[in-house]
Parts: sequence; structure tokens; C-alpha cells
Amino acid sequence: MTEFRKLTFDALTVGEEFVSDDHLITPEDVETYAFAVDDHHPWFFGASPFGGPVAHPTLLGNQALHLRHSKYIVHAGLHAKMRFDFLQPIRVGMRVRSRGRVIDKYRRRGKPYMVTEFVTEDEHGTPLIRGQFTQMIIEG
Amino acid sequence: MAITAGPITVGQTLPTLVKEIGQRKIDAYSGVRPRSIHTDESWARQKGFRAPLAQGMMSTAYVSEMMTQLLGAGFVTGGTMSMTFIKPVYAGDRLTVHGVVTEVRTENGARRVVVEVWCENQHGEKTAVGTASGRGVLTSPE
Repeated sequence: MTEFRKLTFDALTVGEEFVSDDHLITPEDVETYAFAVDDHHPWFFGASPFGGPVAHPTLLGNQALHLRHSKYIVHAGLHAKMRFDFLQPIRVGMRVRSRGRVIDKYRRRGKPYMVTEFVTEDEHGTPLIRGQFTQMIIEG
Repeated sequence: MAITAGPITVGQTLPTLVKEIGQRKIDAYSGVRPRSIHTDESWARQKGFRAPLAQGMMSTAYVSEMMTQLLGAGFVTGGTMSMTFIKPVYAGDRLTVHGVVTEVRTENGARRVVVEVWCENQHGEKTAVGTASGRGVLTSPE
């Protein structure tokens, strides 16, 4: 049973790890994302150089960004930096999971920040995306 | 595997993308829930913002679209992106996404194309800046 704590700078520990739930990539995920970002590339819905439909490369960014929600109650935060390495295409029908680790936390101009590195993998453990992001913690 | 070929040169300006950031699109992107600065207007105001904010991540999607248009499969696998979000993007804003090729180099027997990218709002203010790269096949001199 997970006990959720309110996210604060002091509660967060450098080195702590997060794991998302598994997520099945559905055609509806791809369609919703295409609507949200207004990008309807034909590869998302039909043939592609990868042998079938693929998802937008950034589709799973939020699975990584929400990793801290697997342990903490997060009422607000601001995304400061994002880095992606796109290793393999994301395909409809994959079950994907993201894992992350807090690699730094710091205060700048009085504002608290946390830095997380992550990898998103398919059901076989094949890395699809690696990256790192920095989030400002809004406490209170 | 096909990778977009064609003349890509350092200094080349990419076609801009224009994105209208409506609340419905933010809702679809972030998922509607209470106490969210993205989808709960009163909560956003309570946290000091004049309106709900678009996730910074939406701008990475726009850059990804621009890079996929440029490099095709060479961005979907082998692409990279590094962005810094420097100003909030609010519901109702209009973003223009820009890119300029800054480097073309040989890497592991292939070409890597590096692009400086940024997003500007309707006031001409930069909201996100960074770089993106991908694998490309060039037909023009480096």
C-alpha cells in the first residue's frame, strides 16, 4: 500500500526512485494527443517507415513527468526543463512503463527545484525514450 | 529504413508552425481534474496565474512536429531534444514555433542535423528555447 505524502522540498530525497503503472498505448491515446497538439501526421494513423502506426515521439512525456505522483500529492508544479532522447518508435499496442530517479534538488532565487532522470520501456524492457527533466516545486 | 533526404544547410530557417492554445486542447493534453493549474481556472488564479497554463510539454510536441517534418524517421528514432521553458503559455495564447539549422556533423557514419528551436507567443515573447537534433541524409555540401 502506497502512503502518499505532500510534496515539499524537504520531503524529497535525492536518489529516490519512482515507477509508473503500466500503460497500454491505444489508438484513442494517439488520436487524443493528435487533437491536443494539432498534429495529425499520417504515420500516427496508418503506414509508416516502421511498419505500422507509431505515436507522436513525445506522447509518453507525461507518464515520465507524473512519476512523482506515484509517491507524492502534487498540487502544483512548473516544468522548467525537458530533455528527450528518442531511441525507438512508440507503437500502438505496446505496454509501456517509466522509471525515474531524483538526481538533484536545489533552490534558485528562493524557488525549490527537483531534477529527475527517466527511461520509458516497452513490455520487453526495451528502452524507448531516455531523458531528464527539471520541475519547480510549488509548496502549499 | 527511409530517412528524409534533401538539401539541409547550416543557417537554413525551417517553416514556422503556428499553434492556437485553446483550453480544450489543454484539457485533452493534461486531462481535466480539479486543483490543476492547467484545467482548473480558479485553482490557477489561486496559485498566482492569470489563466490556466498549457503544459510546457506541449511545446516539446510542437518542436517534435517540426523536426519530424524536417527529418522524418531520422527524428522518430535517434532524435534528441533539450528545452527550457522560460515563460508561461496561457489558454488563449498563440504560439509560433521557429527553427534554424545550426550544425550538420558526421556521427557514427551518419549525419546529425542540429536545430536551434524556440517558441514565441503572440506578443513576440519567447516562451521556450532549446535545441533538437536527428539523423539525416544530406545531398548538399556540409
